[in-house]
Amino acid sequence: MRKAPDELVRAARGRRLVEVLGGLDVVICCGSGGVGKTTVSAALAAALASTADRRVMVLTIDPARRLASALGMTGIGADPVTVSASRLRQAGLPLRGELVAAMLDQKSVWDRMVERYAPNRHVAERILDNRFYQGISDSFVGSHEYAALEALYELHEEGEYDCLIVDTPPSRSAIDFLEAPERISDFVGARLLSWLAHPSRVGFHAMNFAAAPLLHIADRLLGGEVLGELGDFVGDLQTLYEGVQRRARVVGRLLRSPRVGFVIVTTLEPAAFAEAEHFAAKLRELAMPLRGVVVNRVLPGFLADEAAIRAADVLADDHRGAQALSRAIGASVDGPAAVALGRSYRLFFELAQREARQLARLERIADVAAVQVPLITAPVSALEGLVQVAAAL
Amino acid sequence: MVVQRNLSVLALHPEDSFQEYLAIFFKVPRFTRLTPLAGVFDFVATGVPGPRDMLMVGKIAHEERRREGDGEPIWDLIVVDATSSGQILPQLTAARSMRRLVRGGMLRSQVDFVDAMVTNHRKTALCICALAEEMAVAEALELHDEVVEDTDIGLGLCFLNRCVPPVSAPRQRRLVELLADPATARVAAPVLGEGIDGLLAGIRLADDLNRLAQPFARRLSTRMSVPVVPVPLVAARPGLATTRAIAVALEAAG
Repeated sequence: MRKAPDELVRAARGRRLVEVLGGLDVVICCGSGGVGKTTVSAALAAALASTADRRVMVLTIDPARRLASALGMTGIGADPVTVSASRLRQAGLPLRGELVAAMLDQKSVWDRMVERYAPNRHVAERILDNRFYQGISDSFVGSHEYAALEALYELHEEGEYDCLIVDTPPSRSAIDFLEAPERISDFVGARLLSWLAHPSRVGFHAMNFAAAPLLHIADRLLGGEVLGELGDFVGDLQTLYEGVQRRARVVGRLLRSPRVGFVIVTTLEPAAFAEAEHFAAKLRELAMPLRGVVVNRVLPGFLADEAAIRAADVLADDHRGAQALSRAIGASVDGPAAVALGRSYRLFFELAQREARQLARLERIADVAAVQVPLITAPVSALEGLVQVAAAL
Repeated sequence: MVVQRNLSVLALHPEDSFQEYLAIFFKVPRFTRLTPLAGVFDFVATGVPGPRDMLMVGKIAHEERRREGDGEPIWDLIVVDATSSGQILPQLTAARSMRRLVRGGMLRSQVDFVDAMVTNHRKTALCICALAEEMAVAEALELHDEVVEDTDIGLGLCFLNRCVPPVSAPRQRRLVELLADPATARVAAPVLGEGIDGLLAGIRLADDLNRLAQPFARRLSTRMSVPVVPVPLVAARPGLATTRAIAVALEAAG
């Protein structure tokens, strides 16, 4: 049962999301895990590329690599891949512009950052070869958010795309993503850490009293050899400080600029919705512009049928409903079957009621464009599903 | 915090874990937060990639090792509501990553201990939670394969969450067909009222969603090397009611 796009669209605040976001350079989609954020990001990019002749890139920084699936592709690497316009047209979404997809390659972003800001090639190579650096840029969770901001800024500066759509990691990490500009400059510039590295440098003696316990702890924790090696690394890393700090300020400004918009993706599941509220509050606190909310997988309105729930309650009433129904229709009605059907409807009625309560709270998130994307209830390919979501946006 | 007999909850915050760590191993009092070093401690706990992950998994290892006065473990079981599937492996393997970086000092033996706990199949099992949807299943299988192929971490169970109960048994289908017949619906109206059409629409939706999920559920069960436990969709109000409803369902699933 395929629904027409106009049936799918139920814009809560009047304007379609693509109209609100159409003129922006960067759209950052965020939300908690499992709400369909990657699909919405891809659909939004497709919708923007279908409404005007513009080059749109959708970039996933979510370590889970789902963007390729959402776009019906076998894989997406760090090199941008153009999404087949003919396949999208066949799925029901003709493009007027171009849609390109890419995934964050955090290692190469880190490497480029080092090469850009190191005072000379020798220092850059020393950092790139350092095993602490390799551990940071390769392995750990937090390094992803640092790299993501840098990649976003690089792409924005290159200006090759009219619009960048960013699919972020689940919201707690996305908050790390928002705070990355400040953290990244802290990371290479933490002055007390530099005393760890070079306790004999000027400045150390002045703060000797404060730093001594730290050095003692670090020495016991890491051992002298590693501490020395770490010190050399921190020393090298700090040569990047000025460049990174300058860049972090610019990136911080970009995230607050009117050319950028955040879109929160959520479902009406209580936990996801609460995360969305939290994220909206965080955006307000950081003075970053929230432009829209996408409420994904909304149950159909017909489930809130009071007459139907009365019928369901009769059926679910422990076989007595089946007996009464058997008498009325003159045919045997199986008791357990009647109970199961009644309970099934009741489950969805209660879910629909819960969703209605959550929807009433939508205005608490922010006074921005809000779009409801209906739950897809028919088997569709990933690309067809994406087109249905795009139509709703 | 104790929420009921034999059940306590704890939220992990890297800053607090770091403070606790410093207090236990270095006798650094909590009031250090007021000193000039407080910024460094907070920065190390939350700002430097790596230590933050180590503090999360290290705190779990610490809780696992805690003992009562009589030597009995304080906790019989620690259930961790961990980070998302795309981020869990870097966190669980943080100790191993750290081992490559730290060769000596006190930290080396601690990361060894944490790594040993995480990779001890008798102590630690990673349970994967999924939904019966295309992307969620692909993500769950991707995590499963990475765990099996690239780590020594043991797998526990896979929970397939929000399963819509089937309404397609022959007797259920028969009743739906009966009620869908306008003549039957007319005579059934005195019992069921005017809501039969709405009722059938809701039941068909449930059936559609159940059918939609089946191929993904099958794919998950076929590919997973551990049992897949269905967890029913519940509509209870958020909070303890939902938790209890799911606990009852899990208990029933054995």
